[in-house]
Amino acid sequence: MQNSRYRGVAGVVLVALVAVGGSYLQIGERPTAPEAVVEAGAGNVLPRPPEAGDRPAPPAVQDPPGPPAASPAEARRWALAKRLAMAEELLCSFQDASKYPFTSRPIHEHPDQVYPNRPIAERRAMRTREGPRDADIRIHTTQSRVFIAAGEPVVLSIAAMDRGGERLPIEVERATARGLSAQPDRVTPQVALRMADDGRSGDAVAGDRTVSGAWTPAETDLADFAGTIRAEIEYKVEGRAGVAWLDVVYSPEVPATWSAPIREAIEGGSLVFLLKAKVRAPGRYLVSGRVDDARGRPMAMLMFNDLLGAGDQEIRLSLHGKLIRDLEPSFPLKLRDVDAYLLRDDADADRALMPRIEGEAHTTRVYTLSKFSPDEWQSEQRSRYLTEFTRDVEQTRAELAELDPGQPSISFTPDQCRGFNANISSPQA
Amino acid sequence: MISLRVLIPLMVLLSTAVPGAAMATNYTLWIKGRGPAGASGNYNDFTYWGPAATAAGVNKKAVNWDGYSSISSQSGKIRDALDCFCTGSNWCYVATHDAGDLILGYTLANYGGSARIKKNAVANATGQCGNSDGGTQTGWNIKWVRAASGAAGGSELSDYGVWSNVEPLVKDLKTTTARALYDHNKTFGVLFYMYAAAKSTFNDAKLPGRDDDVVAYHSSGGVAGTTGTALGNPTDFFANDLTLGTAANEGGSVKWSGHSVSFRDDAAAYSHAPLGAWAGIVAVVRAAMEAYAK
Repeated sequence: MQNSRYRGVAGVVLVALVAVGGSYLQIGERPTAPEAVVEAGAGNVLPRPPEAGDRPAPPAVQDPPGPPAASPAEARRWALAKRLAMAEELLCSFQDASKYPFTSRPIHEHPDQVYPNRPIAERRAMRTREGPRDADIRIHTTQSRVFIAAGEPVVLSIAAMDRGGERLPIEVERATARGLSAQPDRVTPQVALRMADDGRSGDAVAGDRTVSGAWTPAETDLADFAGTIRAEIEYKVEGRAGVAWLDVVYSPEVPATWSAPIREAIEGGSLVFLLKAKVRAPGRYLVSGRVDDARGRPMAMLMFNDLLGAGDQEIRLSLHGKLIRDLEPSFPLKLRDVDAYLLRDDADADRALMPRIEGEAHTTRVYTLSKFSPDEWQSEQRSRYLTEFTRDVEQTRAELAELDPGQPSISFTPDQCRGFNANISSPQA
Repeated sequence: MISLRVLIPLMVLLSTAVPGAAMATNYTLWIKGRGPAGASGNYNDFTYWGPAATAAGVNKKAVNWDGYSSISSQSGKIRDALDCFCTGSNWCYVATHDAGDLILGYTLANYGGSARIKKNAVANATGQCGNSDGGTQTGWNIKWVRAASGAAGGSELSDYGVWSNVEPLVKDLKTTTARALYDHNKTFGVLFYMYAAAKSTFNDAKLPGRDDDVVAYHSSGGVAGTTGTALGNPTDFFANDLTLGTAANEGGSVKWSGHSVSFRDDAAAYSHAPLGAWAGIVAVVRAAMEAYAK
């Protein structure tokens, strides 16, 4: 490689920085208390296996940098080499990240957006109303979603476990919901929630020591409230009283509705899903949908974000041709779980949800891969960034060359990005 | 299709030939977090951070918002600043602290692909700038972001009612809400370098894993998920490690796309608040901004 000398300097910097980072490692720090553990909603998160379309991993560098400089010139060389490594990282990372449109991405880049309709689960130590926590009792809560469209129900549940994971009897003494107004002095209605362990109204299994309830804001005094609604659940476990809070954000307004079956078309070498909508409230709409291949394997996340006028509109979710070519899915593909909302600038609450399309929305025809374009995405935005990042690499390299006039002047090419990405994934880099 | 091998050198050549390109200016934006310090729209008011004379990156600007209202209602202040300094031939480096991470992430995810009017970087009293050439561009010119104790994943202090829920920002900081507020993976190719602090004294039991008394590693490390998870340092026996870089953490949790951990506080030496003195984890980010935001 032509610039092996400077790359070598940058590589030495990276290795040394990792070594410097090691000086921050301390033995004997206090362990994290197990009762402080909160579980992620793991069911909603897709693990990220390396695959086609994956972005390169930037080098892991522990800041702050600490060059073991013997002289001002060496310190300057060190700093420039670090800046060069960063500039190359930015150029290569952006080049790779922008080979597909930002609205058509491999779904592993959106690991917490893969299954948006799975319940959100949390596990915490029991909290009493007075504040102290009881670490011997774990409280498990779930809520079916955070943002609720007009007319949609939300299912809330609560259960208790001991340290060994055994279910404990739990009794919900009182469950209420009230709006958290953006105006602190505004009083909002408070409504009672039905929660029980009887196998009805949102409770999946009777007598399983999970107390649940389905609740529809549109059917209560909060029907016209827009914004955050807090459910407060007062419960008792083994004679001890506790409280849990679950927040949902309700949108009573329906800004637009879906108006026709979804169609598909190949346009410009990409597969486009065409969604017809009747828009009542014009403005900026954000729409997202997921695509699975014929085997049910999640493959892509499609997004739309643009202004829509009132009346009949067509929303386009485009699956980029190169992404299809790179992922080589088995057809037919399935579009599923489409979420959409009107985003209101600078408002609280900031969105009004369209009716959710939960589950399968559309199944495509069967295509051969040759129908799709293998070309990378091009746009003014992409060109602007690549131009700037390339200039940063060249300028930093020129500054480094001033310190060592014997180094030949060279240009950075995309091929060097591939070499860079290979280097940073190697422990010897 | 023109290959990138040809395209990139060509773009560099063209960009240097365009009149006005020499006037391109780089700016360093500091987006504050929760709390009242810093007058909204005054890009020279560094009260939240520390003495304004301190070096903190080229052409530094303080991006102030009220630190109290909801993220959505204050996003316009961030858009104003990005429009002012990060359009046309101007480029930005961005530093955030605390909820500054959440409000920048929200603004980028929702408006990062929208048409922006190019501005002249001359602000009026409310923080809005005049138009430059009347043209528009898609999104902003942001080179990278460094987030000190980023709260984009929320804080359990909001979950537990430690903060008053009368404050609109507090409801947005509830972990489940903050994580559902927008798609955190949508950064439009902009890299977020995360700086996670771990000096904790009094809120340790409320926050999972390592924390700095306000934000836990699951947020300051940019970890994906609908709720928080417990992550710690390599020496912590009871928690999985937050890894450096973009790699998955010990235990399998993954980071939001475009998020890379640059600093993990293995010595538990850095606290959360800047204390008006560029203190705590902000000191680490300030040093990085001084070194790399040129």
